[in-house]
Amino acid sequence: MSLWVDKYRPSSLGKLDYHKDQAAQLKNLVQCGDFPHLLVYGPSGAGKKTRIMCLLRELYGAGVEKLRIEHQTVVAPSKKKIEINTIASNYHLEVNASDAGNQDRVVIQELIKTVAQSQQIQSSTQREFKVVLLTEVDRLTKDAQHALRRTMEKYMGTCRLILCSTSTSKVIGPIRSRCLAIRVPLPSTEEVCSVLTSVCKKEGLLLPPELAKQISDKAGRNLRKALLMCEACRVQQYPFSVDQNVPETDWEVYLRETANAIVSQQSPQRLMEVRARLYELLTHCIPPDIIMKGLVQELLSNCDGQLKTEVAHMAAYYEHRLQLGSKAIYHLEAFTAKFMAIYKKFMEDGLDAMMF
Amino acid sequence: MNKLSLGGKAASSRVNPWVDPSFLDLPAESFSLSGKRKGNKSSGSKSELKVPRKRKGEASGSHLLNESGQRDQDEPWVDRYAPRSQAELAVHKKKTEEVENWLRIHTNTSKGGILLLTGPSGCGKTATVQVLSLELGLRVQEWSNPTNLEAYSSSQHEWRMNSVLYSSQVTQFQEFLLRANKYNCLKMAGDGQATDRKIILVEDFPNQFYRQPGSLHDILRCFVKSSRCPLVFIVSDSLSGDSSSRFLFPREVQEELGICHISFNPVAPTTMMKVLTSISTQEAGKSCGRICVPDQAVLEALCSGSSGDIRSAINSLQFTSYPDTSLENVWRLKKNKSVSSLGRAVSRTNQRKKKSKQTKDREEEQAIGGKDASLFLFRALGKILHCKRESPESTEGVPEAALPSHISHHHREPLLIDPELVVERSHMSGEFFNLYLHQNYLDFFSEVEDVDRASEYLSDADLLTADWTSRSVMGNYGFSVATRGLLHSNSQQVSVGFKPLHKPNWLLVNKKHRENSLAAQSLFRSFCLTPVSLQTELLPYLAKLTNPMRNQAQITFIQDVGQMSLRRFPGRLKLETLTDKEPGQLQMDSEEEEENKEKESQGEAEDSLPASQPQPTSNQALLEEKDLIIEEYISD
Repeated sequence: MSLWVDKYRPSSLGKLDYHKDQAAQLKNLVQCGDFPHLLVYGPSGAGKKTRIMCLLRELYGAGVEKLRIEHQTVVAPSKKKIEINTIASNYHLEVNASDAGNQDRVVIQELIKTVAQSQQIQSSTQREFKVVLLTEVDRLTKDAQHALRRTMEKYMGTCRLILCSTSTSKVIGPIRSRCLAIRVPLPSTEEVCSVLTSVCKKEGLLLPPELAKQISDKAGRNLRKALLMCEACRVQQYPFSVDQNVPETDWEVYLRETANAIVSQQSPQRLMEVRARLYELLTHCIPPDIIMKGLVQELLSNCDGQLKTEVAHMAAYYEHRLQLGSKAIYHLEAFTAKFMAIYKKFMEDGLDAMMF
Repeated sequence: MNKLSLGGKAASSRVNPWVDPSFLDLPAESFSLSGKRKGNKSSGSKSELKVPRKRKGEASGSHLLNESGQRDQDEPWVDRYAPRSQAELAVHKKKTEEVENWLRIHTNTSKGGILLLTGPSGCGKTATVQVLSLELGLRVQEWSNPTNLEAYSSSQHEWRMNSVLYSSQVTQFQEFLLRANKYNCLKMAGDGQATDRKIILVEDFPNQFYRQPGSLHDILRCFVKSSRCPLVFIVSDSLSGDSSSRFLFPREVQEELGICHISFNPVAPTTMMKVLTSISTQEAGKSCGRICVPDQAVLEALCSGSSGDIRSAINSLQFTSYPDTSLENVWRLKKNKSVSSLGRAVSRTNQRKKKSKQTKDREEEQAIGGKDASLFLFRALGKILHCKRESPESTEGVPEAALPSHISHHHREPLLIDPELVVERSHMSGEFFNLYLHQNYLDFFSEVEDVDRASEYLSDADLLTADWTSRSVMGNYGFSVATRGLLHSNSQQVSVGFKPLHKPNWLLVNKKHRENSLAAQSLFRSFCLTPVSLQTELLPYLAKLTNPMRNQAQITFIQDVGQMSLRRFPGRLKLETLTDKEPGQLQMDSEEEEENKEKESQGEAEDSLPASQPQPTSNQALLEEKDLIIEEYISD
């Protein structure tokens, strides 16, 4: 028994539930025989990967679904061995090069080279190119992205790249200009609801539309999250009730409590407690930038309108430092302290105004 | 100056007299620096020393006391003035008593025990054992590493041919312990009063033990079972962080084997001054002007420069006492400076000022025979975090450029410390030091606004050192920004009293974060998700689903990472308290400061007595300062 997310994933372009125009365009693109490098971007949970897999199936047929997970070792020029996991079929290779950290440049060059240098066996009946699917391109180092640019041109004959990222802002210009950019936006609330309902119907369950809407809102239209939530709801209680509370992830609840703790008291001792909570989040594998984002959202909902701009500004400032710096806790804590200071001043000013 | 002319004359008549002696008899005398170690052995004829260094029962006896008269003039003073009685020991009385009690208890019963003495080099560990064993009438049997290794490597052949079995140091060590434990020395006609009571002393550890401390522990376990005489280990603390005493004798082993651990402190400056003064006066009396006697200021400089290492202090005293023009000049210059500065300092009533002045002088004068002063991490952190500044009254007389009104809130009194120096002396990289600061700074702040500024400085510091290509250069700026930023932003300066300090959690957290992320990816690879969505979406929900397709490793991982206990205070992170002697740094400053205070208060009380005179109450003072320190440490 697999997860609903995997079980009911559409497998061909025709079966996609939303953005049907785009699906049709992709189909046309494939049917004319050749296509340029693609850069698929859009928020998480919008269905980028699903769409890409559908596209590959359209290209190569069902053979592309026979996936195997491979463990590859790439030797860097410095003789350092880099181990990386790839997912491959006979026709394509999927790599998340950012797993290799600083050495991602070597990984990209080596892997693409090996794929591109081996020709398809029966080029008469099949496409004459293979596809390399690079995920999380926005997390690649600049070094690797520049290497990618060169590699893209060099092996154009035997290999197409499909790049997948959440935003294009961290992808360097030269790569963006070499690719056909495809944006996959989040599905609308109605689309999420309809997907949820149809999945439930296939499972033989009845999902009240109100609950579907509630799930969709809570998930922020992230379809993967919505489906996971829906399944968690099913575990929690069936038959569904309309006012059932949708289970959230533990870390989100935890983060909200942390934000409440920040708002309720501003003192060095409280900051110490907050730090311990931040550490706890980090040990639970929550990336620092996600913590930052979540924290800001929770804090902003507790703020007055005047404060919001300032808090958002500080958040952006420290988030930037978080990206540049090496130890996340300094910046997370600095932001928290900043917020405490701003918020305390605001409250005191408010009190003074009340007095007079 | 009288002294100078004397020195000049002497130098012209004798060519470099201070160089000759220490090298002339080098082969016989072995190294003068290690002279104290062999204080007992070098007695009697010199030929005795040519016997290859291999387990020798130390000759102990009364002859040690009476031969100093016929000794060579050029013998190192460390040997000549080696302590011969408890009173002469430059070790704190209580420590000596502690060791003495242990020795008494364990030699009287025939059941042996193990004693571990630690402390920085030159604080009198070996001297204490030797003096005590002399007084208690114990024979010291010392292990020293056999040197047959080169013979082995050069002619492996022969060894085998001669069928001499080469045994490793470890085996030899084991045998030594066994024999020393079981058998008594043969009674020779000469040493009549030699007793059969003895102690085994180990200062020199076979190298293998550093690689595998386990083998030492095994040997010791065997030893403890059948031990009849006490075994004393002496391990010097090293400055570079890897404390060999911790490594060789971890706490569990100490408990298991019932090892008694006594740790020595560096020699206190008052005691050191007493010793140095007595040595120099004795020498002056003996040499009749051939040796120039350094004056009080030089002695003080030596004393402070040696950071509690009495061996090096005496060595440098000898070094400075031999007249030589060039050297004399150097010292004269420095002397002048320090004399004048000292005079200035005494006349001042402001204690703080004086202290900072003295520290400055001290730093200048470590050029010869000086030892790098260093700080325990505990102290170093305290210095930054407690943020001591001069009191505002003290600066009233000094005309100061006041800040313009719009930035006047940035005004701070001058610092009593130099942050860069503190970090340098803590023997830590700036980055680590910042982590320690970050872990502990919140306890010392009372205002959120201050914390805000301080945390911003820490964030700045991290940013400076973020790029690995420039990290080595920027690291210094990083800790400057962090320490000075913290000091500046702590505007309230509340005295918080004693606060326990903790080790930084970040390293552990970061490691766990990475490990968990990697584990997540390898365990849940089949979901083909990006790490972020895997960790923030899939895992937490998997914890909420009843999905039977997972294997055991996945289930435990999900329970561990996917779920979060929603308790208010996370229990996962334990604060590790930083102990006062974290990686073997010298505990200099506490004593020094106490010492200075002591002196200052005395100087105030009776201005006529020069602060640098050997003081009648020094023993009392020492006792007091010891108590202070102990109190402080108990509380953490």
